[in-house]
Amino acid sequence: MKNKTKLIAITLGLSTSWLSGKSVDFARDIRPILSDYCFHCHGPDEETREADLRLDQKEDLFKPNKDGVTAIHPGDLEKSEVWYRIITDDEEDLMPPPKSKKALSTQQKNLLKAWIESGAEYAEHWSFTPPKKAPLPKNAHPIDHFVGKLLKEYKLSPSEQADPTTLARRLHLDLTGLPPTPKKVQSFLKAWEKDADKAYTQLVDELLANPHFGERMALMWLDAARYGDTSVMHADGPRTMWPWRDWVVKAYNSNKPFDEFSIEQLAGDLIPEASLDQKVASGFNRNHATSDEGGAIAEELRISYVVDRVQTTANVWMGLTMECSQCHEHKYDPISQEEYYQFFAFFNNHTDPGMQTRRGNQAPVIDVISEEQQKKKAEAEKILQGITQKLEERKKAAIKDFDKWSDEQFLEASTGEKKESIEPAGLIAHLPLDNFEKNLTKDLFRKKGQNRLHGKAKAQEDGKFGGSLKIDGNGYLEIKDFGDLEWNRPFSYGCWVKADNVNKTAAIIGKMDEGKDFRGYDLWIQSGAPGAHIINKWQDNAVKVVGKKKLKAKEWNHVFITYNGSGSAAGTKVYLNGEKLDHTVEADGLNGTIVTEKPLRLGRRFNSSQANGFAIDDVRFYDRELTDAEVKSLTGLDAIGPLLAIAPAERTEVQNETLQQHYLSTLDKPYQKLVEQRRKAEGDIAKIQKTKTTSMIMADFPANKMRKTYLLNRGAYDQPKKDHVIEADVPAILPPLPKDAPRNRLTLAKWLFSDEHPLTSRVAVNQIWQLFFGQGMVKTPGDFGAQGRFPTHPELLDWLAVDFRENGWDMKRLIRQIVTSQTYKQTSNVTPERFKNDPDNQWLARATRFRLQAEFIRDTALATSGILRTDLKGGAGVKPYQPPGLWAEVGLGGNPKFKQDNGDKLYRRSIYTYWKRSAPPPNMLIFDAPTREICTVKRPRTNTPLQALVTMNDPQFVEAARFLAERMMKETSKKPEAIASHGFELVTLRKPSPKELGALVQVYNKSLKTYKEDNAAAESLLKVGEAPADKELAKDQHAAWTLVANLLLNLDETITRE
Amino acid sequence: MEMTNSPLSRRQVLNSALGVMGTAAWASLAKAGTKTTEKTYGGLPGLPHFAPKAKRIIYLFMAGGPSHIDLFDYKCAMRDLHGTELPDSIRQGQRITGMTSGQKSFPCVAPMFDIQRHGERQTYINQEVLPHMAKLADKLTIIRTMNTEAINHDPAITYINTGTQQFGRPSMGSWLSYGLGSLSEDLPAYVVMISVGAKPGQALYARLWGSGMLPSKHQGVQFRSGADPVLYLNNPNGINRDLRRTMLDGLSTLNAERHAVTQDPETQARIAQYEMAFRMQASVPDLMDLKKEPEHVLESYGPDAKKPGSFASNCILARRMAEKGVRFVQLFHRGWDQHGSLPKEIRRNGQSVDQPAAALIKDLEERGMLEDTMVVFGGEFGRTIYSQGKLTKDNHGRDHHGRCFTTCVVGGGFKPCDYGETDDYAYNIVKDPVHIRDLNATLLHNLGIDHERFSIKHQGLDLSLTGVEESHVVKGILA
Repeated sequence: MKNKTKLIAITLGLSTSWLSGKSVDFARDIRPILSDYCFHCHGPDEETREADLRLDQKEDLFKPNKDGVTAIHPGDLEKSEVWYRIITDDEEDLMPPPKSKKALSTQQKNLLKAWIESGAEYAEHWSFTPPKKAPLPKNAHPIDHFVGKLLKEYKLSPSEQADPTTLARRLHLDLTGLPPTPKKVQSFLKAWEKDADKAYTQLVDELLANPHFGERMALMWLDAARYGDTSVMHADGPRTMWPWRDWVVKAYNSNKPFDEFSIEQLAGDLIPEASLDQKVASGFNRNHATSDEGGAIAEELRISYVVDRVQTTANVWMGLTMECSQCHEHKYDPISQEEYYQFFAFFNNHTDPGMQTRRGNQAPVIDVISEEQQKKKAEAEKILQGITQKLEERKKAAIKDFDKWSDEQFLEASTGEKKESIEPAGLIAHLPLDNFEKNLTKDLFRKKGQNRLHGKAKAQEDGKFGGSLKIDGNGYLEIKDFGDLEWNRPFSYGCWVKADNVNKTAAIIGKMDEGKDFRGYDLWIQSGAPGAHIINKWQDNAVKVVGKKKLKAKEWNHVFITYNGSGSAAGTKVYLNGEKLDHTVEADGLNGTIVTEKPLRLGRRFNSSQANGFAIDDVRFYDRELTDAEVKSLTGLDAIGPLLAIAPAERTEVQNETLQQHYLSTLDKPYQKLVEQRRKAEGDIAKIQKTKTTSMIMADFPANKMRKTYLLNRGAYDQPKKDHVIEADVPAILPPLPKDAPRNRLTLAKWLFSDEHPLTSRVAVNQIWQLFFGQGMVKTPGDFGAQGRFPTHPELLDWLAVDFRENGWDMKRLIRQIVTSQTYKQTSNVTPERFKNDPDNQWLARATRFRLQAEFIRDTALATSGILRTDLKGGAGVKPYQPPGLWAEVGLGGNPKFKQDNGDKLYRRSIYTYWKRSAPPPNMLIFDAPTREICTVKRPRTNTPLQALVTMNDPQFVEAARFLAERMMKETSKKPEAIASHGFELVTLRKPSPKELGALVQVYNKSLKTYKEDNAAAESLLKVGEAPADKELAKDQHAAWTLVANLLLNLDETITRE
Repeated sequence: MEMTNSPLSRRQVLNSALGVMGTAAWASLAKAGTKTTEKTYGGLPGLPHFAPKAKRIIYLFMAGGPSHIDLFDYKCAMRDLHGTELPDSIRQGQRITGMTSGQKSFPCVAPMFDIQRHGERQTYINQEVLPHMAKLADKLTIIRTMNTEAINHDPAITYINTGTQQFGRPSMGSWLSYGLGSLSEDLPAYVVMISVGAKPGQALYARLWGSGMLPSKHQGVQFRSGADPVLYLNNPNGINRDLRRTMLDGLSTLNAERHAVTQDPETQARIAQYEMAFRMQASVPDLMDLKKEPEHVLESYGPDAKKPGSFASNCILARRMAEKGVRFVQLFHRGWDQHGSLPKEIRRNGQSVDQPAAALIKDLEERGMLEDTMVVFGGEFGRTIYSQGKLTKDNHGRDHHGRCFTTCVVGGGFKPCDYGETDDYAYNIVKDPVHIRDLNATLLHNLGIDHERFSIKHQGLDLSLTGVEESHVVKGILA
């Protein structure tokens, strides 16, 4: 240390007069400076640490180092090296070093000076110590008490209470995202006059119970959860996560305690005997961006997904910027890189494969069906059960008939009369493919129709029976005027095939229109395994099954498909050489026609999947579902005849059962009738299954197959440090996990809600707080670490946090607490003087006036004009008006194209708007909605001309204005003043001043003049939007009022919560 | 989020609590302390950090990964390499995309063009694909050693446009809008236009011109061909300009009345924004109206000049916007992802971009604007020397390649030169690498910005366009 005299001279130059009356607070005033200017080189990260000095730890801060130098000497500037370093003019000693391009301001230097001089009181970082309740005077409202305390300290006074109309509107917007109706406000005012407090709390309770409350709260959560209807990267293809979105709305409405709400979203899948809802909830951490890019490396993607889950989970629940330690030690907070990967390990064990499909959800998923569907399904299942029971009963009842028949048959067989082999009933086409004349061959059953060889397909002598058809060089045989099977009727078909190399994928039989979503059916060989497609629309309305056994090369194989007309994979069977195969299901759920104009062909579909190299013989079609035995008989193995020759008493049980089944299916009429009924019932169930959807969920590998986690060098997916397996754990600065609990996500999720956890409750309260005051007490809601902002009201935040936890994480209770405070009820009006005292309104001497978020601006316009469909809730995202071409302009290969919805779907709440994340709805984006590609815990709030263009010109808003005009004209007298006044009241809920009313009427009169002269203009304005205008209204007047309504929907007051 | 460069609080800048009317990027927050004499709207005090060489950028972004080998980085030696297997000594274990990682053979392909040397420097430019650009050889700064870590489109294009592969960061144009503001009162600081080459090809994303954690008014404003060049610009049918004026007069009156009660400065700002919107309704169509361009100018941009939405027509618009003071115009041209049929497809792309790009440079020069305008021509990465798929006599494809590729810059602050050297395979850099961060740092430098001092605080980090890794201004290409 040098030049002490000079140092003192400088210090004298720094005035501390501005500090008078306020004491320096280490946590609030000093640590942020140290963090911002010093921690980078003197903080947690060893790699970048200079001079072996840590200023983020008490020990280093106050103890002399080995050279006897002390960083901070309480009460003594001269002995404090830090002080010297920041004020010296020796460039080599100066801190922060000039090359860092950072410099302390005079004010910051003053703060450090005052802190050292006053004894340098030290405290651990505020958010890592558990919150405690500061004493609260009896009967005091915690919010008003703590806010009032600081107001006094800053010599500010609270504002008066807002008028009841403003309060009613504020409460409605804050709690439901929708404005009240004038009628609602009227009744509130009446109640207010009688008993203001009672009226107010009643309204609060009413709104908290309103189903729109859940929608309002969910919007905030969707930003945090990076919810979208598409996958973000590359093709940005569609995905179905709305069941998760609907879960969130429902959870808020049912006031699910925040701990349960969170645990189910972080680890619902791991809860013992998890319900469908809990699994759906776990989709929170499947909302992140995923990629389907062809050249992408799955492991690289998979790691990036885990990184996103860690970041989002840490930001949303703990306000921690954990992501900083992915590549190196955290520069500011005590989180080492190793600790990062310990946390990472909780999320690294999921079964998600990394790549995303372009067409929809990626496994793991869960089937979701609506309650209504569930009910219908249960009914159908009950009916099916009944029929199944009746079938059993009929089986028993028919035993006599069967015995009689069986005895007769045995007699016949034993008397040596030759029995014809059984030909199954229901043959509708039979092509033996033995004789060809001039490229034509005959159908033995159907006499009509031409069956002609095309291309290089030819007849050959080698066949299973006689000759056969050989497919080569993309040739085929076309069968005219046959093959219109239908999805809701049973049928069976098949043939013999042979090839040198069977390990191919090809269609042996096909009647299919590839250009129309592959409508039709085929007999399919997939890498040597037989199967079938039965398709209305690939792949959402189709059945596809593939057997689990392969054909044999160079031999004749009998392949056969039976289908019971139920539209389900369960009703579709694949046989190979008479044996029913286990099959895999690649599509399940068909309930539309499979008829196509394309002809039936052997050796291909209409124009693809050529079966080159295959020989085909003896093709048969039946209009029934053949039994196992019947299919077997077609292979030449007569399953029935030999059994009939065994004396009934000597048959084994299996033999008897086979015979009995054969008898019932082919000869017993009542049984056959029941089988038909069963088919119908199965069809009904398939139809319900068809409309089911899936939702992506979390799912871990079992404990014995856990994926190992390693520290990734510099965060790179391909540089795991394999010398050391990382066990799942939490950062040491936070409370430890319970000792015996399994190290999985469920334990982690529960740990967040342990009594000792210092962060979760504070972060949650702060998130809620910003909804009602426009900003959080901590202005960096995603960062409660050293670099985050110190809370404006630390005592209040802590008090509410503890109270929230102690009261069962009751969300509605917390919100009620906030909105019933006097602080909340203040007016947002301000005087220039008061504004100057606190432009940010951080001390809350008034309520905050702020512009509504994008969704509520649109919802408000639709609501006040009376066209909002508040009755429609949940379900798949809808696509209201948007300018044409936006998707194609950016989409992969120009796809997919945006197809606007019609009717009701144009008028739903904005939370249900389809969210395409590479091209989000522009009227939302322009009003600061995030793209939702990443977790967002705070939206910016800007004010631009593009926003003005949206609310003036977007057809959604223009159409709403027309309907608002319609209301205005119909709901009052014919006087312009009355109409204008009514319109004004509909949107602002107050009466206009004379000047306001005058201006509105003037706009009306002026525009009416124009529209009277130009009727065509009036007419074209009234045509904007899909819903027709009321023809009863005079067009010129309606158009003029539409312009006025357009003005009203654009008022600052309309789009602002006051 | 806070701003390190500004003594104003965030809210003051956002909401213009200083009592200045305008708040948006294009509104009138007159700046103090700038050295330029020109009036700017928005921007941070203290910026630029030093006297700028250039005022604006026109970024011609060839999306999809143009083949540097076939356009700019040709070497005679490639003729001998043609058909030979890529040696391990060159590949050096380089990871390759999932599209060719399964290939058994990696045969090298020499460009299937007759590529000549051009200009005084005798520099190689494929004059079959880029005949007009080749004629400008002496004006171009050709950086042959651009490089990036990304090997797939989505991360790569996000990287070069926002400085990181992670989502949610501000794009370059947003940084400029935020830091420097607009030179125009009526137009945004950052404009994006998209055109399509042979095929739409790879996707683009709103995030590429998004504002990340900067206020969203700094996001790129897309200008489009057709009736509504800016989304929602036009009044609906049946509302003419007079009626809109009538409505706005009423609106202002009512908003002013409300302001008298609430005294919220935000309301005044909103009144100003509506007036700005009204002015834009007139100025934007005027700007987009190419009928006002003389015939010889239209001709110089080539046959597509009059085709709305074409790259040629967008180039003319870019110049018009530059004249009006738009700070950053970014033209995306899609369709450069030639995994197959490269010789044919790259020719077709050349036909749509070559003449307009060259004409733009000349046009700017003739108007004396090239001095303070930077024009950038490049994509997110290059392509492999080896063939993707089958190599035939006259056809082949190339996979993505990030280790080196070529970007051309021209104009304000740059010295025409060839910069950097790659090996004979145009696979590895031999001399003077320029990471995409370095290019971004250099572009900022020419605008008078020290990239290390231009950051915002977010989630505990000082975020900047050039990120946390080291990056340098490329001195060797500066004039």
